[in-house]
Amino acid sequence: MNKAAEVVIIGGGISGCSIAYNLAKKGVKDIIVVEKSFLASGSTGRCGAGIRMQWGTEQNCRLSKLSVEFFENANEELGYDRDIEFNQGGYLIVAGTEEENEQFKKNVELQNKLGIPSVYLTPKEAKEIIPHMDETKILGATFCEKDGHLNPFHTTEAYAKAAKRLGVEFLTFTEVTGIDTKCGRVIGVRTNKGYISTPIVVNAAGGYAKRIGEMAGIDIPVYAQRHQILVTEPVEPMQKPMYMGFSLNIYIQQTPHGSFIMGRGDDSEPTDLRITSSWQFLEEMAKTCCELLPPLRNLNIVRQWAGLYTMTEDAQPIYGAVEELEGFYLAVGFSGHGFMLAPATGLLMAETILGEETTIDISNLDIGRFKRNELVFESSVV
Amino acid sequence: MKYTEIAVVGGGPAGLSAAITAAKYGAKVTVIERNNSLGGQLRKQTHKFFGSQKQYASVRGIEIADILESQLREYNDNVEILNGATVLGLYEDGVLTIEMKDRYIKLKPDRIIVATGAYEKFLSFPNNDLPGIYGAGAVQTLMNQYGVKPGRNVLMVGAGNIGLIVSYQLMQAGVNVKAVIDAAPKIGGYLVHASKIRRLGVPILTSYTIKEAHGKDWVEGATICKLDENWQMISGTEIDIDVDIICISVGLTPLADLLWQIGCEMKYIPELGGHVPIRDENLETSKKGIYIAGDVAGIEEASSAMVEGRLAGLCAANSLGYIIEDFEEEKQDLIEQLDSLRAGPTGEKILNGLEKVTKVIAGRYGYVD
Amino acid sequence: MLIKTGVPDIEDIMEITPPKRRREKGPVAVIECFQRIPCNPCYTACRFGAIKEFEDINDRPKIDYDKCTGCGLCLTVCPGLAIFIVDESYSEKEALVKIPYEFLPLPEEGSFVIGLNREGKPVCRAQVKKVQKMKNKTNIVTLVVPKERSMDVRSFSMKDYDDENTIICRCEGITLGEVRKLIQEGYRTVDEIKRISRAGMGPCQGRTCRQLIMQEIAKFTGQKMEDMLMPTFRPPTKPIKLGIIAGGESDE
Repeated sequence: MNKAAEVVIIGGGISGCSIAYNLAKKGVKDIIVVEKSFLASGSTGRCGAGIRMQWGTEQNCRLSKLSVEFFENANEELGYDRDIEFNQGGYLIVAGTEEENEQFKKNVELQNKLGIPSVYLTPKEAKEIIPHMDETKILGATFCEKDGHLNPFHTTEAYAKAAKRLGVEFLTFTEVTGIDTKCGRVIGVRTNKGYISTPIVVNAAGGYAKRIGEMAGIDIPVYAQRHQILVTEPVEPMQKPMYMGFSLNIYIQQTPHGSFIMGRGDDSEPTDLRITSSWQFLEEMAKTCCELLPPLRNLNIVRQWAGLYTMTEDAQPIYGAVEELEGFYLAVGFSGHGFMLAPATGLLMAETILGEETTIDISNLDIGRFKRNELVFESSVV
Repeated sequence: MKYTEIAVVGGGPAGLSAAITAAKYGAKVTVIERNNSLGGQLRKQTHKFFGSQKQYASVRGIEIADILESQLREYNDNVEILNGATVLGLYEDGVLTIEMKDRYIKLKPDRIIVATGAYEKFLSFPNNDLPGIYGAGAVQTLMNQYGVKPGRNVLMVGAGNIGLIVSYQLMQAGVNVKAVIDAAPKIGGYLVHASKIRRLGVPILTSYTIKEAHGKDWVEGATICKLDENWQMISGTEIDIDVDIICISVGLTPLADLLWQIGCEMKYIPELGGHVPIRDENLETSKKGIYIAGDVAGIEEASSAMVEGRLAGLCAANSLGYIIEDFEEEKQDLIEQLDSLRAGPTGEKILNGLEKVTKVIAGRYGYVD
Repeated sequence: MLIKTGVPDIEDIMEITPPKRRREKGPVAVIECFQRIPCNPCYTACRFGAIKEFEDINDRPKIDYDKCTGCGLCLTVCPGLAIFIVDESYSEKEALVKIPYEFLPLPEEGSFVIGLNREGKPVCRAQVKKVQKMKNKTNIVTLVVPKERSMDVRSFSMKDYDDENTIICRCEGITLGEVRKLIQEGYRTVDEIKRISRAGMGPCQGRTCRQLIMQEIAKFTGQKMEDMLMPTFRPPTKPIKLGIIAGGESDE
């Protein structure tokens, strides 16, 4: 297989598929998406698939608001024959420390200023929304009813199918083995199934983004860390919104199907790209869940699994071109929220690649910010 | 966290034999068994075994379970038995998580012998979710362990050894076996088992499959259909049979979840019933310290499962440094027993399968990093 | 009898069957037109003069097997869909049969279908070798069939015998029909089917359905079970209460 393309996108997760769709929609021909397994087989298909606009930085708020607005009409916009299952049950974000509680009040102010309808709640008010919580464990909460949950497989499929209809080619089970450059320009991509010559490469490789960067001689300041998650048997609907705490270290949501999905972060998790499971996670997760939401102790765990967060120092994504290599673009380092930002990622990356003015100014999310030391830290991350 | 030298997962014929052998040579062994009693499938087996004296030939399975259990009790000082205990996971640091009667236990062994056995394959046919459709194992459990007659009239799907034996047991329990059918053109089980039920008047129809089950709230009948040489149904050959029980006995597949979880190298070997682990002649898998025995290593008879168990137990104990004077001799004897059990025409398939997964494994990685 | 049942008799078939030696030489047209009706597109379409000139438009076509190249032009034009191309030179044991097909969806190349005889009865499994979309919408489907079925298979079914409503995954209630639809849509791994349909996500972790889904993929694609990507196996092996794990380790 030897091919030529206008744009090669590395990574068939939600980000890659969204970028492909947006580029094709803007009229770009000969787009190839290269995926080493099947679509959504990496972080996308392993994520909790929560969607929220309640962030602590202005950029994340703007990006997620644009994305939520897209998801509200995505079935129609993407012409999907199944359902992406967007369920806007809200996010209840709980504060575990005084410091966090104060920060949340500031966050709500920022969010409201940007048009995000979040509210601050007392523990008692929060308990009215999720009656099975132990409200004595929290100091306050914020709630946004427009936040929610999606089906990650269907959402990715919706993007991919729409992109295919617009002529995008998907090479699944195809692994990138190298990136060829000449005089500071990208000229092609080597894969285990053949060569693709192209002037533009988009790195949307999720946990493998750093490795892809190395192939192009670019050091991307990200690292991939294992994050674990578990799912219970389905039960009758009892919890509408996502329950999430940063200092309390938990996110837990009941899906439309009835099962509960929950996860937590852990700094000691390995960063060597492995996605095995551990009993330590199972124990810590169960303890946290039973402590904060006691009646859930009777739920049966059905399965645990893991995926990768691709972390940046400021927990915000890296978007755009790199100075040293023309034609090499990054959509990486989503720090655990790449799934929910995908509509913004696709649109803004397409605009950037085509040299258009971007709908949201993302110039301060470039890779150069790390060298310039212009980081804005996002603290609302599990 | 509990510690042990050898964890044996599964207290069936393979697991018990492994535990007895390892304990005999001095190793500290923990047997983890899901059921409240030891013996596994042996407890359901009311027929006399084949094989030779070394594998308890002409003793009934249920009696063999008692023999093995009492042998194990002889080494009480070295053996701990966890009954009613299910292994939930085998993690990369070599820790087994266990649920035992609503309690949660973690066990860290130096060696693990996985003897988890097999589970039954299933068929897709219309209405296959009607009550009254059982796997052969469930029918055996009902009849032979709980003394419950599953129904009045049975269609047995599958003429392998289990299908034939369970048909016979059903007859013994006073259940009418209307027919035994098998999609293959030949009877898969031992012909003596087949003749045993034929002379009781039960028809065995080869090249027949189940097309459909009928019934509203419960099985009321089944339609069977003849197959051509390409395993396709020949229309016009349908036969309706009035039955209230359909027993599915279309083979077993290794229950290898724990081996997959820990990342053992696996290969699909149809002759052995499905995906099985690569292993060396000591029955050690591609993960250092993880041994296998019995059906999880490839579907066979209980007699070879017991010999495999002894071999795995012997090699695991030896690898821990227990001094076994006649180790090579013992090992050779067990390998020869296995060879002879597999020597006949019925063992040919097994040997073909084993050839593809038994090899010298170099550069093993341990389950402890 | 043809006139009563629409199924030609053996004598009818023998009359229009090209000699065995000719069939084994390469593709040849088989014209199953048994009744005199006013129609001659096959004659006008043939560029090789293999179909003899009609004296009367009601004539039944007569074919010169030496001149026929099996090009298939007559097949696509025949309004009665009565012409098939048979090629027994394909392999030692298999023959090709080209069948005019006017239904949607078209089968996928490489997929397996059930070969039907002139009575619509299943006679063998057949693989779709080629699907040619034609302008006049009489598409041509080329099937690989066992050689002895070359004069027997005249249609096919993409449906299997089994009821599409047969339950494959009991935990999630996923049917055979749903699984097959996904395979037809191009999902070719158990993992993808699991993620889209939820089959195998239930408490049994796929113990019942995994193998059945693999068999369906194999049936459709001809892929071997041993080459298939296996889904991951994750703890726990059976459902376990959060409270039991959270309760911490027991002393025992």
